Amino acid sequence: MALYHNPPMAYAQEPTTAPIEHRFNPYSDNGGSILAIAGSDFSVIAGDTRQSEGYNIQTRYARKVWQLTDKAVLATNGFAADGNNFVKRVKQRLEWYEHAHHKPMGLKSIARMIQTMLYGKRFFPYYVYNILGGIEEDGTGAVYSFDPVGSYEREACRAAGAAQSLIQPFLDNQIYFKNQQPEPGAAPFIPGNLPLGTVLSLVVDSFTSATERHIEVGDGMEIYVVMKRGRTTDDLLGDNKLAPGMTIEELPSLGESVGGVESEGEGQGGERTFLVRQALKRD
Amino acid sequence: MWKQPAPANSSFNEYNTFPLPQTQRGGQSSHAHGPIGHTQQPLVTGTSVLGLKFDKGVMIAADNLASYGSLARFRDIQRLHPLGKHTLLGVAGDMSDFQWLKKELDGLLRSEDALALTDSHPSLSPKNIYELLSNLFYARRSKMNPVWNAVLVGGWDKVKEESFLAYVDLLGTTYTAPTLATGFGAHLAQPLLREAYEAKAGIDGEGPLLTQEEAEKVLDDCMKVLFYRDARSINKYQVATITAGGVTISDSRSADTYWKFAEGLRGYGAQTQ
Amino acid sequence: MELNGGSVVAMIGKDCVAIASDLRLGNQAVGVASNFDKVFPVNDKLYYGLPGLATDVYTLKEHLRFRVNMYRMKEEREITPKTFTHLVSSTLYEKRFGPFFIEPVVAGLPTPTELDPHPKPFISTMDTIGCITTPKDFAVAGTAADKLYGVAEGLWEPDLEPEDLFETVSQTLLNAVDRDALSGWGAVVHIITQDKVITRTLRARMD
Repeated sequence: MALYHNPPMAYAQEPTTAPIEHRFNPYSDNGGSILAIAGSDFSVIAGDTRQSEGYNIQTRYARKVWQLTDKAVLATNGFAADGNNFVKRVKQRLEWYEHAHHKPMGLKSIARMIQTMLYGKRFFPYYVYNILGGIEEDGTGAVYSFDPVGSYEREACRAAGAAQSLIQPFLDNQIYFKNQQPEPGAAPFIPGNLPLGTVLSLVVDSFTSATERHIEVGDGMEIYVVMKRGRTTDDLLGDNKLAPGMTIEELPSLGESVGGVESEGEGQGGERTFLVRQALKRD
Repeated sequence: MWKQPAPANSSFNEYNTFPLPQTQRGGQSSHAHGPIGHTQQPLVTGTSVLGLKFDKGVMIAADNLASYGSLARFRDIQRLHPLGKHTLLGVAGDMSDFQWLKKELDGLLRSEDALALTDSHPSLSPKNIYELLSNLFYARRSKMNPVWNAVLVGGWDKVKEESFLAYVDLLGTTYTAPTLATGFGAHLAQPLLREAYEAKAGIDGEGPLLTQEEAEKVLDDCMKVLFYRDARSINKYQVATITAGGVTISDSRSADTYWKFAEGLRGYGAQTQ
Repeated sequence: MELNGGSVVAMIGKDCVAIASDLRLGNQAVGVASNFDKVFPVNDKLYYGLPGLATDVYTLKEHLRFRVNMYRMKEEREITPKTFTHLVSSTLYEKRFGPFFIEPVVAGLPTPTELDPHPKPFISTMDTIGCITTPKDFAVAGTAADKLYGVAEGLWEPDLEPEDLFETVSQTLLNAVDRDALSGWGAVVHIITQDKVITRTLRARMD
């Protein structure tokens, strides 16, 4: 009997399967939201500046929107480390392109390149939702949206990130005029043709709304406005065009004016990019 | 914050001192279970690191404990590591990874110094070192072989004449803020740090920053709070100050703690009945 | 919630309230019926919506009808929106450990009395076990709740007149359920004012 009495613990607990492995999880979700809206001759790309993990706010100012060229701005959302490194690689590819071709890459080419780069990591994806905004070669405002593995399409507007479900239906209504009809005899609604002032207030409303109802959105936002060459800036820089509390700056051109053909003087040479900032609630 | 080491389920462990010594380490090839052998877990760990900007620089604080699971294993470990004259790391997480990191970075700095002897070679700025660390951490996480640490980089940028404070961790996640804290500190100390910082500088950081004395007082308070409530901490810590004048690391010190309240509480401390 | 789908929204206006729901009944992703009303009257100034598990919609509706009738007979008066909210809440809490899978929304106009000649419009909502919230603006529930929050937060403003409130609540509901696979397939809106209730069935996307 003594033989069977009190078997050693190790024997009793001998695992029948492999031990539970705490496998390292290489991903995280850093919250936040991004959004972009195309106009006929401009494009607006925006994001909030909060970076969080779970219930912790890591920082109240982390960049999610990046100027790539004079006519392209990229917003990234999801896992911040992947986002930052993805943008780094995109910028590197753009530089290589410029060295090889003596001109900056066009918007739709950047879009296709991003799809290739994302799909290149199909089996260990960048956990990032991308929205690319800017001016197309024909001078129209454009927005391209991507999923983490590279599916993409050109649209008039797109929201992504933590508050996508809050913002996108609002944009459907206000940008695509979904569930709305024009008055009898009135001109039909055409998405992607709204004036800049309207678009800006829709962007601000989207983010203040999302801040109210989503804990991962807030602190501040950055709105990039890319304008077609030669377009008037009166509706952005004029008096009282911005809501109180907003600040604006023009970003210097990234173009190296290849061949020195660019007309200097008025600074009206190419596309112009402006950065509008506004505070959001911090709670 | 660092994961509790895996409970022993493979063999008998007489004293319940988890984790078992034969736990698999990173880089080693796996045996019977699963195809990937990279995955590691932290063994000997350091807890919170705090960072705070003040008017003339930045301060970083960390205690002197390296825990082995719940065992307070090494009680005189320095987790603040200077790199050159104007940069300092505060490291939480796996201490052997930290030691490896120290060796790598010290080696790098030595070769940089050697270059500076023969040439007008600029020394690495805090930003340079931070960028290097970020890339290293992200590259290692992408190989599924993480450097199991969370690091605060504090420094003084000689060119811009401003302080530098940033965070990077095992996932390659990076961010900067005027106040930073890792691990438990993010829960317990970060609110106190932000409150103190914003009381003077305001939420936009436009106002005056804390003075050196004020900043040190805030960190002392935070380290005390952490000692009271973080079971993986110890009441012995150091504060590093990085200014234009260079890096100074304080001697180890202790917070004044108060335990009288425990006498009246049953179940708190020694029982008399 | 995700078995049958469906969403409800209620909003406060100037001396009026609105409550609206979609009409879908589904079996997971498969649409089964497009006439499944989730909003019911208690009396002509008090309505409530029951998004959630369809079988519990019926059970709870009948249970509440019974309890409201008992209240009417005992008290010989109509139940107020606030009292009704607490009645629903306690009914849900009775099943604390085996709850109804319903998140009710209540919307009503209290009848003016001598003590309170100008009662405020009232809306409330609960979780599945009866924890009450009484918002000053709007209440949402169901599978499209997050979308409803987003649109409502963008469109709603204080003191809307009945017709404007109708437009606001309709646009909110329609645009929210169009982004929700489990809600939609038609919608019905009730605008409650002191002298009448306007009920309209909306033309909606049926995909």
